[in-house]
Amino acid sequence: MAENNKAQTASAEPILRIENLHKSFGATDVLKGISLDIAKGEVVVVLGPSGSGKSTMLRCLNLLEEPTGGKIFFEGEEITAPKTDVNSVRERMGMVFQQFNLFPHLDALHNVMLAQCQVLKRSKEEAAKVARVQLERVGLGDRTDYYPSELSGGQQQRVAIARALAMDPHVMLFDEATSALDPELVRGVLDVMRELAQQGMTMVVVTHEMSFARDVADRVIFMEGGHIVEQGTPEQVFEHPKSDRTRAFIGQVS
Amino acid sequence: MKLRRTFKLLAAALIAGACALGGAAAPSPAEALTVERVTARPNAGDTTNDVVGATETRITWEGLVDAGEDVEELALTLPEGTSYRSADTKAVLLTGENYMDRNEVSFEVSSEGQTITLSFDEPLSTAGRLNVQVYGVVFPAEGGSMQVTGTYTAAGAEHDLDAVAPIEVVGMSLPDQIAQYLEQQSWVAAWNSNKFLKLFFDPTILVTSFPVVFEGFLMSLAVVAVAFPLAIPLGLLLAVMRRARLALWRGIATTYVNVVRGTPLFLQIYIAFFGLPLAGIQVPSYVLGVAVVAMNSGAYLCEVFRSGIQSIDKGQFEAARSLGMTAAQTMFHVILPQMFRRVIPNLTSEFITLYKDTSLLAAVGVMELVMYAKTVVAATGSITPYIVAAVFYLVITLPLSRVTRRLEEYASGVRRRPHKAPSTASAA
Repeated sequence: MAENNKAQTASAEPILRIENLHKSFGATDVLKGISLDIAKGEVVVVLGPSGSGKSTMLRCLNLLEEPTGGKIFFEGEEITAPKTDVNSVRERMGMVFQQFNLFPHLDALHNVMLAQCQVLKRSKEEAAKVARVQLERVGLGDRTDYYPSELSGGQQQRVAIARALAMDPHVMLFDEATSALDPELVRGVLDVMRELAQQGMTMVVVTHEMSFARDVADRVIFMEGGHIVEQGTPEQVFEHPKSDRTRAFIGQVS
Repeated sequence: MKLRRTFKLLAAALIAGACALGGAAAPSPAEALTVERVTARPNAGDTTNDVVGATETRITWEGLVDAGEDVEELALTLPEGTSYRSADTKAVLLTGENYMDRNEVSFEVSSEGQTITLSFDEPLSTAGRLNVQVYGVVFPAEGGSMQVTGTYTAAGAEHDLDAVAPIEVVGMSLPDQIAQYLEQQSWVAAWNSNKFLKLFFDPTILVTSFPVVFEGFLMSLAVVAVAFPLAIPLGLLLAVMRRARLALWRGIATTYVNVVRGTPLFLQIYIAFFGLPLAGIQVPSYVLGVAVVAMNSGAYLCEVFRSGIQSIDKGQFEAARSLGMTAAQTMFHVILPQMFRRVIPNLTSEFITLYKDTSLLAAVGVMELVMYAKTVVAATGSITPYIVAAVFYLVITLPLSRVTRRLEEYASGVRRRPHKAPSTASAA
């Protein structure tokens, strides 16, 4: 179905392909035609001022927002098609939110277990085993029986990452994952994300962390006003930005 | 005659047991006085013929005197624990056809322990029915089979009286005993001399109406105990329907909630209780009462649940959905558990409202708390039973308000419990 449009990337089939994506809320156009291919294993960092549409684009990828125009292909399947099984798409796409959104009535272990049992139909024992492995991976092996309210923001966000990873996602989406954290807690979360990138996870990261973008990104995308203004390797975007806006933004924040 | 007597003895033995058997073992030779019956006047103060303990009554003893026998003395022994006034004792000899002629009998009365002795001035020798009345008799409060025994003296010889069916005395209930005790207290009289206190807080009616109103209390509990658990799923269903994507579901739920909340429960009860029978549908009043209040409460609970769901952060839905959970899974495993904790205070206040609203069922004859209180009010003319009913409402509502406060703390989500010793690797 998606085989006929291979013009842009000569290399492997992209895991995610966005074609002319539009999104408007009422009369407000937030995304005004975004096209983007993301290769398997690629780490794409999306930068841009607030209101530029980066979060909306990310939320369109797992259909938390319904695009008003354009197409999105995920692993060769058009997920914007009307008959798409949205849940099976989301199952393969992990998302980490700015506000963590842990389930406050469940402890860390059960936060990570719930969707495994419900969606993947794993047994309780298996889900608990996976949950422990993932919590260990984000450095919280000793906090399995803590409730979210008993954890720091950084710990909560790492539980949220473990919760997404436990579903064995093919792509991870990070929506300003460190923006709500106190500065001293940011590093722990970024370390986990960095490690994940090194292990070959495909990641789309919306962030304000320039150093993370510089160090970890395979590609940096700069968005403004619902458009992709500039994209390229971190070096290209940070050292030799083509657009004045990009230059101004980078000058402001770094 | 001999045969009849033996039969009577046998019957008495069956009732009175070993005591009567002793009498049978030594039958008296003479036939001067045959006991007919011993009865006590009903004193329960109601329409029954019960003789109750701890309350004054009158014993009537009747026996047949044979002609030509000289009955000189009659001694009646009342059961242990029974008090009496011997001075008022009356005796009359009924003679003639159908024993219609009254002959006053003059006698000296004396008493010793439980025995009252009537010494007749002239020995009774006319055939007739001797009727003896003992006044001021108070049987023991606990009641039981009261056997009146005795002896008589004829021609200088003492004989045992025949054993007859005992007087069955109903035990006095504890509240009645307390009420009786209270009635004799001077402070109660002083208390009741105040018109206001007597009308609203009469101590004796307080005590006597308690067990009656208690039955209504149980009924009211039986109504809420079934209605509330039914109202919860109904409210949940309506709340979920009101959030449904399909306008039809939303419309049905919204209409239902608006109509039920927009009309008085009293009217809904009337419509159900008078409408259904006219439509030829007969439903037991308890079942119908439960159904009506449950359906009413469900509409209110819908709004409680709906606002509870709405109060939950949008991020919870998004997090659950982003993990691939379906809308139903999200609702059951993520939203509702949080929602329930949040609405516990509102849920409790709805329960309290429902419990109080069961009183409206009194209007259609469901025997609940207020209805029982009303019957006692009608019988006594005192408002006190209503006060007792109020206490029965408070017994539930006051502790519940306290429980709610506790649950709120629990619902705030933080549960402090011991953790494994924190390790050094926990820094974020």
